[in-house]
Amino acid sequence: MSKPIEQYVDELRASRLWRSIFRSGNGPSNLHRALAIQQNIFLHLFSVKTRSKMLAFRLTWYLGALSFATFMVLVSTGILLMLYYHPSVPQAYQDMKDLQFTVSSGIFLRNLHRWSAHAMVFLVFAHMFKVFYRSAYRPPREFNWVIGVFLLLFTLLLSYTGYLLPWDQLSYWAVTVGSNIASAVPVVGAKMRFLMLGGHEVNANALLRFYVLHCVILPLVAVVFIGIHFWRIRKDGGLYAGEEDAHDGAK
Amino acid sequence: MTEPSKAPVHAVSSDAKRDPRRVVFVTRRTSAAVRTQDEPRSMTYPETFLRLLTVIEAFVVGLVVIALSFDAPLEGIADPIHTPNPAKAPWYFLGLQELLHYFPPLVAGVVIPGLVVTALVVIPYFDVNMESGSIWSKNKPRKIRIAAAVVLALCVLFAVFDVFVALVPTLLIAAFLFISSSWYGKDLKGFRGWLASKPLPFWIMTWFLVELIVLTAVGTFFRGPGWSWVLPWRS
Amino acid sequence: MSDEKQNPSTTETADVLGRRQFFIRLGAGSMAIVAVGSGLFGYDFLTPRVLYEASPLVNVGKPDQYPVKSVTFDPANRIYIVREDTGFYSLSAVCTHLGCVTAWKPELDIIACPCHGSKFKKDGVKIEGPAPRPLPWLRMWMNDEGDMMVDRSSETEHRQFVQV
Repeated sequence: MSKPIEQYVDELRASRLWRSIFRSGNGPSNLHRALAIQQNIFLHLFSVKTRSKMLAFRLTWYLGALSFATFMVLVSTGILLMLYYHPSVPQAYQDMKDLQFTVSSGIFLRNLHRWSAHAMVFLVFAHMFKVFYRSAYRPPREFNWVIGVFLLLFTLLLSYTGYLLPWDQLSYWAVTVGSNIASAVPVVGAKMRFLMLGGHEVNANALLRFYVLHCVILPLVAVVFIGIHFWRIRKDGGLYAGEEDAHDGAK
Repeated sequence: MTEPSKAPVHAVSSDAKRDPRRVVFVTRRTSAAVRTQDEPRSMTYPETFLRLLTVIEAFVVGLVVIALSFDAPLEGIADPIHTPNPAKAPWYFLGLQELLHYFPPLVAGVVIPGLVVTALVVIPYFDVNMESGSIWSKNKPRKIRIAAAVVLALCVLFAVFDVFVALVPTLLIAAFLFISSSWYGKDLKGFRGWLASKPLPFWIMTWFLVELIVLTAVGTFFRGPGWSWVLPWRS
Repeated sequence: MSDEKQNPSTTETADVLGRRQFFIRLGAGSMAIVAVGSGLFGYDFLTPRVLYEASPLVNVGKPDQYPVKSVTFDPANRIYIVREDTGFYSLSAVCTHLGCVTAWKPELDIIACPCHGSKFKKDGVKIEGPAPRPLPWLRMWMNDEGDMMVDRSSETEHRQFVQV
């Protein structure tokens, strides 16, 4: 081998084209490591330096990060599934069959989307309990906890709206039961149900509304709240490291 | 100090009119506390970044393996005429659906979830939740009496409505609560010392967590056609 | 903080693959395999296997339906069925310019496109207009039941008549 492949990579990264895109090359100094975070549009929400203590797995079990990763998996599998799904009745069910039997990798993507959805609900609950038992909701992090509770609600809503889309017996009756519970709200319950379903019954209108909620409205709202949630972590001084004193001085 | 001095002043003057100065008091309740910290730090890239990437990758690989091994269910096409028996919600709502068995939809579907969400939201705004010392460290006898009254009220409520699935976990947690009061102050090690040191918010949340798990488990495994009680190992 | 703590060794000889290099290559290689695999599977996924479109094969009926020296326009399938003394042929009615559906003008004995003024003779050859090619002749045959069949997706040579 005349030149190891690493040398080609290094030359590429030092090239003018590369530097015009990525602005600062990689390097062995802390300056370069700092720039890798600070100059990256996706990563610059991170602080350039992290408290070493917070890297320990046992502290948070990385549940927040895993929730976000699962969300990314759901968005990408969801978008791919959307290419073969018509939100109409009864075509939706036929499309589910198509996805499972005729579309290449269709069954894999559907399974991945479904199991990731279950995992996501489980993970956000686990994340909430972990944050609580660590007392990471203490000031100044109170409002981030509130944002988190809203994110939990959005996760459940996303899961619920997605549940209708296959248009099978499971979907139909789960949503029927759920919408009847919604109508139990005093005063506005019946109206809520009517608006939610786009009618009095769970039919084509309901499917379309749930589809738009599931694929557009709720993901956009969730992304905004996730952004606030991450931003607040920075503003509140990073992840909670147990630095707040207890009121009765124990610990 | 009545004559004006041309020398530089090194102390806060007592004459506020001639020499106004701003003095800032920083109390413990000042929010957005920024403190100089001397903790050891690591570079986010590569330390944090690669750790996150590894954990996330491992998890996604696990998800992919599960997706390759197990098929998501798909039943027959939606049929408005035929309701399956039982018609179960997705698992994370089965706890709620179990409650619906005992209480009317308004209570089980709106009031209780509404109270739960409200209670969750306000947790960080109550001082009692900032404590991290043991619940028994102050006013122990009084607290035992209050706890007994609350537990009794809950148990009566559950018994009256026959909600045994909620009654049993409540009794279980209450038992641990009262036993922990006897373990307190004895400098015990291990589980007993750990449990005795827990504050009130811990007990309330643990009760909620256990109720959530039990209700969901019952709704998932122990309910069959007509929402009747079934033993899953006998179906 | 040590600035040079993570400096990869560049002083090893070219033949010795250090542990760091090995793992970097293993990781990067795996990523490359994943990327290529995802690309291939992704392309496969995006290619539809089931089309909700009409079949290109058209059954145009018995030959006796068509008088000799006639041009019949089938609007649903966008084809012409032409019967001359020498036999049958089928033309695509889709203008080769930009895809508009042409019209048969019996009084002028031409096929005319309404969009940009292309005109064709009834054997598909262009008379005038911006169309780059003549109207294609479509593969035509008689099936076992005596029906004339046209395959709209496959062209045949000009002047390939189908005898009955």
